[in-house]
Amino acid sequence: MSQLSLKRLEKSFNEAKIIKGIDLDVTEGQFVVFVGPSGCGKSTLLRMIAGLEDVTEGEISISGKVVNDLPPVERGIAMVFQSYALYPHMTVYENIAFPLRVEKLPKAELDKRVQAAAKVLQLEPRLQHRPGQLSGGQRQRVAIGRAIVRQPKIFLFDEPLSNLDAALRSEMRIELMELHKRLGSTMIYVTHDQVEAMTMADKIVVLDAGLISQVGSPLELYHRPDNLFVAGFIGSPRMNFMNGTVTSSNGTSLVIDLGTLGTLDLPRSSKIGAGQSVTVGIRPEHLKLGAGDFTLAITPRIIEHLGIHTVLYANLPAGENFIGLFEGDPKVEEAVAVEIGFALDQVHLFDQAGLAVY
Amino acid sequence: MTSSRSAVIFALALLAPALLYILAIVAYPLVDTIILSFTNAALRPTYDFVGWANYQKIFGAGNFIDVIIRTFVWTFFSVAAKMVIGTMGATLLNSAIPGQTVFRILTMPPWIVPMAIGIFMWGWMYNGQFGMISGLLQNFGLIDGPWPFLAQGNSAFWATIVTDVWIGVPMVTIYLLAAMQSIPKDLYEAAWTDGAGRLYRFRRITLPLMVPAMLTMSLLSLIATFNSFDIIWILTQGGPSNQTTTMIIDTYKTAMGSRKYGEGAARAVVICIFVSLFCIVYFRAVRKLSQGEIK
Repeated sequence: MSQLSLKRLEKSFNEAKIIKGIDLDVTEGQFVVFVGPSGCGKSTLLRMIAGLEDVTEGEISISGKVVNDLPPVERGIAMVFQSYALYPHMTVYENIAFPLRVEKLPKAELDKRVQAAAKVLQLEPRLQHRPGQLSGGQRQRVAIGRAIVRQPKIFLFDEPLSNLDAALRSEMRIELMELHKRLGSTMIYVTHDQVEAMTMADKIVVLDAGLISQVGSPLELYHRPDNLFVAGFIGSPRMNFMNGTVTSSNGTSLVIDLGTLGTLDLPRSSKIGAGQSVTVGIRPEHLKLGAGDFTLAITPRIIEHLGIHTVLYANLPAGENFIGLFEGDPKVEEAVAVEIGFALDQVHLFDQAGLAVY
Repeated sequence: MTSSRSAVIFALALLAPALLYILAIVAYPLVDTIILSFTNAALRPTYDFVGWANYQKIFGAGNFIDVIIRTFVWTFFSVAAKMVIGTMGATLLNSAIPGQTVFRILTMPPWIVPMAIGIFMWGWMYNGQFGMISGLLQNFGLIDGPWPFLAQGNSAFWATIVTDVWIGVPMVTIYLLAAMQSIPKDLYEAAWTDGAGRLYRFRRITLPLMVPAMLTMSLLSLIATFNSFDIIWILTQGGPSNQTTTMIIDTYKTAMGSRKYGEGAARAVVICIFVSLFCIVYFRAVRKLSQGEIK
């Protein structure tokens, strides 16, 4: 049974419609990540689930009960804010205990829960400190502690790692995943960072302009993106796109004219007819140096040597960016043309409307 | 010239105008007043040093102690009322009420109207025969006949406080509103998510986070109220029967009314000492606050 269900959910601020009809089911214990670019409505959607924003249209149900008109505290959720929202004048202990004091929990039970949360989050030595005396990661843990003590059905995280530096971010990412395993609770996590989404999620919800672009597991989204937006958003470095025109189609394969790059004979049982514009996509990590099923020559503009792999940046004849990612430290030089190939089974194809063709 | 030396010269150059100004209009008069307080200066062209005689005289006479007590009571009630009303006003103006901008504008007139005009307006309102307050109270049957508020000792004392509060509240409100708006919205949302009601949020979040601003405002208001001259002077000139004579009025009457400059200076020095004590208490409180000793 789904623990959280969103039906035809809409949200408008005056005339501006931010959420344009979202349907989603989240089952108990799932780690769901809302991901999308700035302004796509992911934080608004999370705040609607939390009860911090009113619902304009549609329905939010938690454990089968419609909660549209319930205040946050009656929804069984706990939220961790991007800024952590710690009370600067209170100690770590008081910050974590805050929701329990509101609840008027007996002192002994309150202390037990705070100590338990502090133990899980390794905050015991810091309980009498104030937020100002803590590092970013510790503050983050206090904010999570405040959510844990409420024993919510659903944890909501609003870009909780965005204020941390890169090293701490990857550390906290692992801590959050471990916490999810330990608690087994449902977690909904908002981020604009697709690496966070790919590494943490059981299920990713890709949002674009107030609508769900695709829902699926990280690998589903990576291997079978539904559309150009998801294909470009998921994966780092982003997928390369080449514009082309179908010159012939026989039901089992398509011949695509890629202009000066050449002609691509792609096995696809698609109904796309001759003359239609299409977009061919290939991920940078699926390219290899030398000839492939399809080969093109590019001249690297910039080369990044990262040891474990090398990233090559170039421009296609039409001006589009083209990125190649190669294992190790191959012999490539800036401004020296190089032959690059890829296998046809790694190619993604998108029709005129930007929808994937498989 | 080294860069650090030129930085010092540049800093001194920037500081010089303010420093000269302060020396000319604060430091020199202050030192002169302290010196004067040990003399018998009056209208005569010459004067002699009399040691502590002025201080012995003013503290020996019972009425100065009465004036000090009256000043403290007057200041306490006025500052307390300004802080309470100001905090309530700021809270109201900070909440999402319809017509918020209109209410914010309506807070300003007591501050915008020239002080003397505002005080004269209150003087007329307090008038027994023609005043609005007396008229209204008669209409409601709360008083039997005309009540000249400024002619009765007790009511004059409270009337001057009411006027002082009316003039002082806008500044307190606007200052506290600014402080309130600097509290991150996230804190309230987090508390609301945790089930904290409006009053609980105010008590556990707003008030504690407002303490530094309230301390600063209390000190500023305390000093201004302690030294408040215009309101009492225009309304009652310290009367009737000295019932509204505070230390500043008393000093003025002694120095400018009776032309006893030396004795007046001694009274002024006592005011200075009290105000300095307020500042010391304030700075100690701020230090404790920053060290986290005040919760």
